[in-house]
Amino acid sequence: MAEPEVSSAAAGGGGRLRNAFGGVLCAFALLLIGVLAFSIRLFSVIKYESVIHEFDPYFNFRVTQFLSKNGIYEFWNWFDDRTWYPLGRVIGGTVYPGLTLTAGTIWWLLNSLNIPLSVETVCVFTAPIFSANASWATYLLTKEAKGTGAGLMAAAILAMVPSYISRSVAGSYDNEAVAIFALIFTFYLYVKTLNTGSLFYATLNALSYFYMVCSWGGYTFIINLIPMHVLLCIVTGRYSSRLYIAYAPLVILGTLLAALVPVVGFNAVMTSEHFASFLVFIILHVVALVYYIKGLLTPRLFKVAMTLVISVGLAVCFAVVAILVALVASSPTKGWSGRSLSLLDPTYASKYIPIIASVSEHQPPTWPSYFMDINVLAFLIPAGIISCFLPLSDASSFMVLYLVTAVYFSGVMVRLMLVLAPAACILSGIALSEVFGVLTRSMKTHLSKLFDDSPAAPKSGDSSPESSSSSVNTDSTKSENRTEKTETAPKEKPSKKNRKKKEVAESVPVKPKKEKRLLVLPFELSVMGILLLIVLGGFYVVHCVWAAAEAYSAPSIVLTSRSRDGMHVFDDFREAYAWLSHNTDVDDKVASWWDYGYQTTAMANRTVIVDNNTWNNTHIATVGTAMSSPEKAAWEIFNSLDVKYILVVFGGLVGYPSDDINKFLWMVRIGGGVFPHIKEPDYLRDGQYRVDAQATPTMLNCLMYKLCYYRFVETDGKGFDKVRGYEIGKKHFKLTHFEEVFTTHHWMVRIYKLKPQRNRVRGKLKKLKSNAKTSPALAAGRKKNPWQ
Amino acid sequence: MAPPPHRHLLLLLLPLLLLAAAVTLTGADDLVAELQSLRARSPSGVIHLTDTSVTRFVSAPSPRRPYSVLVFFDASSLHSKPDLHLPQLRSEFALLSASFLAHNPSSGDLFFADIEFAESQHSFHQFGVNSLPHVRLVRPEHDRLAGSEQMDQSHFARLADSMSEFVESRTGLEVGPIVRPPLLSHNQIILLVILFLISIPFMIKRIMEGETLLHDRRVWMAGALFVYFFSVSGGMYGIIRHTPMFLTDRSDPNKLVFFYQGSGMQLGAEGFAVGFLYTLVGLMIAAVTHLVVKVESLQTQRFAMLVVMVIGWWAVRKVIYLDNWKTGYSIHTFWPSSWR
Repeated sequence: MAEPEVSSAAAGGGGRLRNAFGGVLCAFALLLIGVLAFSIRLFSVIKYESVIHEFDPYFNFRVTQFLSKNGIYEFWNWFDDRTWYPLGRVIGGTVYPGLTLTAGTIWWLLNSLNIPLSVETVCVFTAPIFSANASWATYLLTKEAKGTGAGLMAAAILAMVPSYISRSVAGSYDNEAVAIFALIFTFYLYVKTLNTGSLFYATLNALSYFYMVCSWGGYTFIINLIPMHVLLCIVTGRYSSRLYIAYAPLVILGTLLAALVPVVGFNAVMTSEHFASFLVFIILHVVALVYYIKGLLTPRLFKVAMTLVISVGLAVCFAVVAILVALVASSPTKGWSGRSLSLLDPTYASKYIPIIASVSEHQPPTWPSYFMDINVLAFLIPAGIISCFLPLSDASSFMVLYLVTAVYFSGVMVRLMLVLAPAACILSGIALSEVFGVLTRSMKTHLSKLFDDSPAAPKSGDSSPESSSSSVNTDSTKSENRTEKTETAPKEKPSKKNRKKKEVAESVPVKPKKEKRLLVLPFELSVMGILLLIVLGGFYVVHCVWAAAEAYSAPSIVLTSRSRDGMHVFDDFREAYAWLSHNTDVDDKVASWWDYGYQTTAMANRTVIVDNNTWNNTHIATVGTAMSSPEKAAWEIFNSLDVKYILVVFGGLVGYPSDDINKFLWMVRIGGGVFPHIKEPDYLRDGQYRVDAQATPTMLNCLMYKLCYYRFVETDGKGFDKVRGYEIGKKHFKLTHFEEVFTTHHWMVRIYKLKPQRNRVRGKLKKLKSNAKTSPALAAGRKKNPWQ
Repeated sequence: MAPPPHRHLLLLLLPLLLLAAAVTLTGADDLVAELQSLRARSPSGVIHLTDTSVTRFVSAPSPRRPYSVLVFFDASSLHSKPDLHLPQLRSEFALLSASFLAHNPSSGDLFFADIEFAESQHSFHQFGVNSLPHVRLVRPEHDRLAGSEQMDQSHFARLADSMSEFVESRTGLEVGPIVRPPLLSHNQIILLVILFLISIPFMIKRIMEGETLLHDRRVWMAGALFVYFFSVSGGMYGIIRHTPMFLTDRSDPNKLVFFYQGSGMQLGAEGFAVGFLYTLVGLMIAAVTHLVVKVESLQTQRFAMLVVMVIGWWAVRKVIYLDNWKTGYSIHTFWPSSWR
């Protein structure tokens, strides 16, 4: 902010006008960038409809609906009895409330302005709105490090980076949508505080961190990255009072605020993810003390004091470390969550936690993933890294550190590509703006030289560039000024390094005259270079639009397929949920695999047994056991859970691959993990799950098979499963304990009802007749029921 | 008339049978005790078998052998072949044995053994082993050696852990957690910690003076670039999945496959090649902005920029081509329909 003012004062009235014009242009560009960020995410609404996507967003949507209907206090105390029946779930204490509160506030604001939007509309468009915010935050952050040009470039790149689009298209109403904005904004405020040393920004920074903690579990990245940067600054001799102001309030205020979020609570001081920040906090104080004493004492006295301070400081440090080690060692997982551990030791998850390793989001990415998600930015980032080192400031070192950690983490888990995206955009923005700066400068110089040459040929060149081309010079001096500024900005640090630097700075005034002439490139090649860069940028835009339109916009609740006779729309999910909400009693319980729990509660408003918040493994295992048991045993389990309806997703008719038969191995595995009578080998033929003629009898008799393939043979006469690609093993069978009540248009969702218990009198008579036969079977069945 | 002699015969047979059973039982006990003592002599509990001991302990008829034997077939002449991983598998096998022993100290149900090809060719023949690596489980119910169960390739994949799964599933015995020896012994760790503690004040002093490697920004820059290069090329994928650098072509063994089609998998070499291209273009751009500008000679500038542009153009084209080939995506533009 200070630089333009200085240069405008020097340049006078014309410069002021130029700056005002530049400011307006910059604001206009930012506005356009915001529009771009918003509109590129609308493909999902245009191609499909304005609908919430996938699974988790439905839960968030339902929570927001509750919030807007009942108010914040009710929300805070909400005990949800529609899920995890019969346990229920405390929603207020187990969600990150940031997203919900944000959307709720937007909705409330719009309504109080008499704009009657539905909650759903607000939820659908929250993510695009926050993408625009995120690109503006990127502008601010990059501007702090490398000036306005780089800021605008980075903002434009971030507005359409595919990695971020994948999580923030309209309808993708998930935590990440607001969290990335919060992440970038927190970093901006940290860097701003670091550059200005203002307590005002430090306080804002803590508040922004609080918002981030409210929004996403990824806040641990911030609370580890910033301490790392502080430590880096200390180790490389860049300690300053600004660093202290930037960090100390953040730790104290931020931790206090974070502990206010119910889902974090005392984790903010108890878990290992946060210990690094406290350790660095202590180190920072020790270092601050050292610098303070150094200022007070004479060098000789200082040396004596130094040894004293170091020994005392070390003693304190060791005491704290010992306490930490003891604390960590006393907890069973050593205080780290499995996901964090798998980041530190990439092979950890694949060795010890198959459930984390099995999720596709947690796989390590291959190189095409990078090309898909950050595209040509991958080519520009190294240039950005180098630019950040020449010259190195506190802000630019932070950018590099952010990039390096994010790129490492993204290499371990493809999901964290999302965190890499802002860093990649910032560094590419810096790189691009530097190249464009150099190339346009050389073009300008050559052009002005050309124009100057025609009136007075011999005057050109090195004689007096200052007077010859005024426009170029103001420009280049400005840029010169800026580089000097950034170089002199972190000047106050009293170390040997800086003394050396000062000497360099003193010699700078001699340099510019020489450099101004030299820092240009040949004209024709500069033009070519700019053209090539524009082509590169054009390719990036094409790729991003394509990715947004084709790859990342499917809502997965409505499916489409293209065939020769046009586009088919499969709307079976909503058909099924609508059927449930219209044809079943409000208090009926619906059982399904956990994937569909959130959608059932949100769209059908029926109680479910398990849902996507997979907090209770035993409960999930019970449903898995029921699905992998024979009909009778399954009926008993479901009956003991008060289940009335069972919902299965079946893709065999239309070829929808992520159906329940393909998820069946997890039902068996998770079920077998808790109830040992379910044995995976019983379902496997040659190590594979098969449902064709070679399938095992256990497989063909389990509930999931029967519910999926009941009456399937009636569709084509052969029972050919399009997903598995073969005919099923058992085609004609009847259900004894369940009855089919609804099957959707494309058979993708099938709903069954539990048959009522048999008449007891008749059972008694039968029992009298064949007492010996039935009772052992009953006893055996009962033994298998894990709920009794 | 017929029954009495039969009854006599039976009466005669019964003690005989009992005697035989007792003999075999004591014989079995002897064998177990012998094996246990052999096991105690080996540090990891792996018994070294030869042709004679194989006939004695393993190919004995099943009633005399109430134990299972897991046999590792080794050939020291093949240790030098890197793609067989024999020494590594052998040490993993020893780990498995030691872990089993630690968990069941006096078990007589399962013994671990190894056979060396050079000295026991006959046994190799008996088992019908003609390729290595090879591990066999001989359970009590196996009568013939050739009929015993072979551990297939998938169980070598995760080394001792997967081997223990195999053993647990086939024998029903619990191996327990694999006890790997720590990388450094207890004393070494203590020594290192003490050295570290001693060096801290000196390190702090150096850092305060500001004259370490840490203060050289070129080191940091190179480090950052390296981490970037490594991550972008999917190096982590290689570490986690243990993917090889390249494969040999199935149809033509002399040809090597460096690029794998299909986006779910990548080979090490292809990742590093593309990662190199990513980094190269970036470095060249940086060179133009920060280095070439400072060159005084116009000709050198021209030449350098031309080279950068040509190589950059080629590298970007190459990566785009490879990406389309590997993933099968075809990226296309969206134009207003009236423009077509």
